[in-house]
Amino acid sequence: MSAFLRDYLIVILFALLACGVVGGFIGLGAIFRPNRPTAGKVQNYESGVDPVGDGWSQSQIRYYIFALLFVMFDVEAVFIFPWATQLETFGYFGLVEMVIFIFILALGLVYAWRKGVLRWV
Amino acid sequence: MLAQAVEVSEFVRPHIDWHAFAPELILLAWGALVTVIDLIGLEKTRRYIPGLTGIGFLLAMIPVLTLWNDGSTRVLFDGAYVVDEYALVLKGLFLITGYVVVLFSTYYMADGDYYDSEYYQLIAASLLGMLVMTSARDLISIFVALELISIPAYLMAAWRKRDLKSNEAGLKYMLMGVFASAIMLYGMSLLYGVAGDTRLSVIGEAFTVSESKPLFTLAVLFTIIGFAFKISAVPFHTWAPDTYEGAPTPLTAFLAVASKTAGFVALVSIILEGFSGQAEVVEPFMWILSAVTMTVGNLIALKQTNIVRMLAYSGIAQAGYMMAPLAVYGTVSDAARSSIVTYLVIYAAMNLGAFTVVIAAARRTKSGEVASFGGMINWSPGLMAAMTVFLFSLAGIPPMGGWLAKWQIFSALLEADRNTGVALAIVAAVNSVIAAYYYLNIAKQMWFLPSPEGEFRPFKVPAALTAALVITVVLTIGMGVTGFVPEITEFVAAP
Repeated sequence: MSAFLRDYLIVILFALLACGVVGGFIGLGAIFRPNRPTAGKVQNYESGVDPVGDGWSQSQIRYYIFALLFVMFDVEAVFIFPWATQLETFGYFGLVEMVIFIFILALGLVYAWRKGVLRWV
Repeated sequence: MLAQAVEVSEFVRPHIDWHAFAPELILLAWGALVTVIDLIGLEKTRRYIPGLTGIGFLLAMIPVLTLWNDGSTRVLFDGAYVVDEYALVLKGLFLITGYVVVLFSTYYMADGDYYDSEYYQLIAASLLGMLVMTSARDLISIFVALELISIPAYLMAAWRKRDLKSNEAGLKYMLMGVFASAIMLYGMSLLYGVAGDTRLSVIGEAFTVSESKPLFTLAVLFTIIGFAFKISAVPFHTWAPDTYEGAPTPLTAFLAVASKTAGFVALVSIILEGFSGQAEVVEPFMWILSAVTMTVGNLIALKQTNIVRMLAYSGIAQAGYMMAPLAVYGTVSDAARSSIVTYLVIYAAMNLGAFTVVIAAARRTKSGEVASFGGMINWSPGLMAAMTVFLFSLAGIPPMGGWLAKWQIFSALLEADRNTGVALAIVAAVNSVIAAYYYLNIAKQMWFLPSPEGEFRPFKVPAALTAALVITVVLTIGMGVTGFVPEITEFVAAP
């Protein structure tokens, strides 16, 4: 087996170990604990608040639009962070490039703002 | 090796040939300008947006012409971006196609009360991707260009958002497109894995010495299947008719002409440059794909009663003809390239023209059925004459452009002087006869059969549509009569 594949063997062993530990402890708990279900106990657990409605409820489409705008600037950050660490090397060339890049992205935000997408109606 | 990559070397500002990049930059800057104007003016400037977008496309034509005049091949970014005659002919083709699409979108969009300005900005974005595609000689730039072409098109396919069919069109197109991109990306990752570089020229050299044949075959198959979805080759065509029928008709024309051409450009670049030494792997695959595509496309087109669906299947069949020279490219690489470019140019003119007539006629008939064309000789002789030109051209009847395109394909196939080439030429010839039936059937409707409405109220074609018709008719007949296109595309063949 090559050294390359041997590295992956460790990953597989680690994954198996993780499954074994978690599965083992939950299994042990299931064997030893008493089983007395009540209505309150079998409810879905959601941060201690009583669940309301059914699992297939619809969420507002408006959240989606905000999420989309968020993703846009999230991706922008992926490009800006490495660029920022090397800004001195790139000099003015890098600065101008990034200004153009941000301008085009900002145009998208201005578009959404001007067309009233950001208003919560 | 890792230490080498991490080590910070002195940054050298890459040399950029601004002249070679000018068409793309003009389009980008103009698109941003149009967006800004739209944002400032909103409803007040809304009716100027189509005109402005069209002007931008014509402005981007100027550097294409000066670069053509200059004539030298310009290589940017270590060979990842090449501006040569092949790229310039196609850039010109895309810009003119974009202009005609803007012309015939104008009334459709304004009549339908759709989001107007965004539509044109998305067309411009998609067109920018196409311009990049013509010059891309690198897997990454090809992929980015392809996504830049496709993503605006997914949105525009669902533009008639209150119509269920348009929603279906957009969803189907997006799901199939994303699926195809994933397959293609997998193929490309294998190519990179074997060759160790993303540039097509390096991949081409790497494979002539490489010994990992099975891996290479797999990579080629996945990459070609990805593009087969984009150019709607059988058996990867199933999205096309539904998307074409449901999408707004101007956008359908854009998909059927520009988007398909862009897929072909990428396919031709990748096969002729990246897979140049591996003809025995690629050729049989392209042979089967081409023969099946033209046969199935034509046979299903025979049964269609909706004209847009019929044009969709006819477009599938035409893609089959266009793929045919790739089945013999190992022997006649130059002829294959120039015949495909010739076909793409002529196909764009005649198919855009046919869609223009469909859009114009639908303003009167409000229908997409073939029967609604009945009696057109009475209600619009001009439209009928134009449609006859396009149908004869699509069927390949001289002196319209279509025969020249077909003749180039056949001569490339026969020039290879191989049994496979001759066999494919026979399949293509039989298919041309089948295709003539359904093209001429529409001509029969227009010339001889009565109008289903039975009345002849006067009908006026708007100015923008007339302009689109004049451009396409002149190009279709002009290219057929003068043989102008081969003169341009013979430059293309020169390496």
